[in-house]
Amino acid sequence: MLEFNATLLVQIVNFIILLIFLRLVAYKPIAGLLKARQELIANNIATSEEQRKQAEELHEQYLAEMRKAREEAQAIIAQATKVSEGQAQEIIAAAREEANRVKDGALKEIEREKEKAVRELKDQVAVLSVMVAGKIIGKTMTADIQHDMVEQFIREAGDLPC
Amino acid sequence: MLEHTEHALNFWGFQPAGSWHWGMIGNIPIDVNPKTLIVTWLTMILVALFAVVATRNLSLKKPNGIQTIFEMYYDFVVGLVKEQISDPVKATAFMSIPLTFFIFILFSNLLGLIPTLTSPTADLNTTVAFALSTFFIFEFLGIYYQKGKFFKHFLQPFIPFLPINIMEDLSKPITLSFRLYGNIFAGEMLLIVILSMMPPVINFCGGFILSVVWLAYSIFVGGIQAFIFTILSTVYVAQKVSDSGH
Repeated sequence: MLEFNATLLVQIVNFIILLIFLRLVAYKPIAGLLKARQELIANNIATSEEQRKQAEELHEQYLAEMRKAREEAQAIIAQATKVSEGQAQEIIAAAREEANRVKDGALKEIEREKEKAVRELKDQVAVLSVMVAGKIIGKTMTADIQHDMVEQFIREAGDLPC
Repeated sequence: MLEHTEHALNFWGFQPAGSWHWGMIGNIPIDVNPKTLIVTWLTMILVALFAVVATRNLSLKKPNGIQTIFEMYYDFVVGLVKEQISDPVKATAFMSIPLTFFIFILFSNLLGLIPTLTSPTADLNTTVAFALSTFFIFEFLGIYYQKGKFFKHFLQPFIPFLPINIMEDLSKPITLSFRLYGNIFAGEMLLIVILSMMPPVINFCGGFILSVVWLAYSIFVGGIQAFIFTILSTVYVAQKVSDSGH
């Protein structure tokens, strides 16, 4: 097959036919597809990059908000503690004052009752003395007896709980 | 002996002998080699089928197997071309030629390994046709991109170098065509020679192993030669279209 003939020209034509056919059917769609895929991947990378950035921003924002919230909560707690301590002091002071007032009242009442009791006792002692005197007068009354009796009465009266 | 083996291998009775006569232009007879042409058309049909099947349902996100193979092939050749031709516009314009050369020559080389069929590339007419196409392409692209500067490079570095530069250009298609033809023709011929050398042991004692090894080597050579033809034509074109010249 070393001799040349028209096969050579036919082969050139064959090659050109195949070239045109493949260019139309295969190369153009494949080139378009590869380009589209490249763009898709580039877009995906850009999108994910952007989303990552957004996520980081959100994260930072949340962290800042959380920090702020914690500070606020601590401030509120501190304020509440202060207020409650003040209230407790007030309540204690009020209670102490009230207790003092009640105690003073009670002491005054006791004093008054005591005076009243003493006064009533004295009255009764007088009445009793008169009654005893009457009874003794009914019997023989000597100076000594009278004296003893009065003495005894007064002692008894002094022993009364008042 | 060789004819006998070839005849024995002719399993499908496909052996159009002689040449087809397609009439005359003036006094020149239009004769063609039918065996070469029929296998060439078969190759073209197979390549076209492969390309059509691979690009029928193109999927952007989930390419199927054959599409992936075609994409890999496309990427591979495009990478080769872009390595040689730095200008992306020129590279894209030239791209489909090496793409077609590679797949066409690869399929041709491999088809020839099927008994009965001969590679179109085992016919010098085919390889010279391809090499001449390359020659015209690089001369044309050189003139197209370099305009007047293109002819000046024949006189580089001195005017007496003109014949050497012309011979250099002319030798390119010759080496391209004879390298491809020689490799493929020798591969097919040796396959037949090996088979004819050992007819008594071919069916037992593992006598076929040598031929199988040679077949595997021929497949390798077929791929390598397709690659070499493609890369060399790309390099020749790159030399002509680049502004720096040589």
